[in-house]
Amino acid sequence: MTDFSDALSVAASGMKAQATRLRHVSENIANTDTPGYHRKTVSFAEEVARGERSGAVAVGPLHLDQTALPQIYDPSNPLADENGNYLGSNVNLLVEIADAREAQRSYEANLKMFDQVRQMSSALMELLRK
Amino acid sequence: MFENISLFQTAGAMAQHAAARQAVTTRNIANADTPGFRAQTLAAFADTYRADDGGAMRATRPGHMHAAAMIAAARPEFSDGEPSPNGNSVSLEQEMVAAVENQREHDRALAIYKHGLSVLRTALGR
Repeated sequence: MTDFSDALSVAASGMKAQATRLRHVSENIANTDTPGYHRKTVSFAEEVARGERSGAVAVGPLHLDQTALPQIYDPSNPLADENGNYLGSNVNLLVEIADAREAQRSYEANLKMFDQVRQMSSALMELLRK
Repeated sequence: MFENISLFQTAGAMAQHAAARQAVTTRNIANADTPGFRAQTLAAFADTYRADDGGAMRATRPGHMHAAAMIAAARPEFSDGEPSPNGNSVSLEQEMVAAVENQREHDRALAIYKHGLSVLRTALGR
């Protein structure tokens, strides 16, 4: 029985981690046109509880992508310098969408596992009912 | 008397094994994007069961622990596939197959157990 509850909590932690990742992706997409915005990335790590690996996923610290910001020529922009350039954001929409798709795929895999484990444990409970 | 029926023990051990394996599979899938994570697996039930046959101690009294209890202690081992650039060796497709296998194993074990129970019930005349 502890196997099942462990598995359920691990699957839930996986979904939570992917949801956090998806949130940062949408923040990046929303800020595509924000001048000076660095895209955010998250890293995952295996959770360590009471000195031992629990198998659950923990979201690591947030990182800012340090790729150079592109210079955008637009003299009418209030942020433009004397040459008419301002710094845009380093968000690449294609990368973000690919990342979002990957997060979705992983989220669905975790959800499927959650459902499957739940089915198995309810089949076990069914034995008691008769 | 009933606790010595090996059918129930085997079925119970099989269900336990399937659950333990499912937990390992879930852990792999949850960590499918964790850098440096290595996929794990448990040996198949048939292998653990056979392995226990030879070296296991014989239970000669009802109070003795049976071989079935040892199966739960099977250690997960690494099942490395081709690692991706970040060192993660989980293959979602492989895990998907494993998950279905585990569920089927669990269902099969429970079906056997249930059937054994109904035979007992019939014998009791209920």
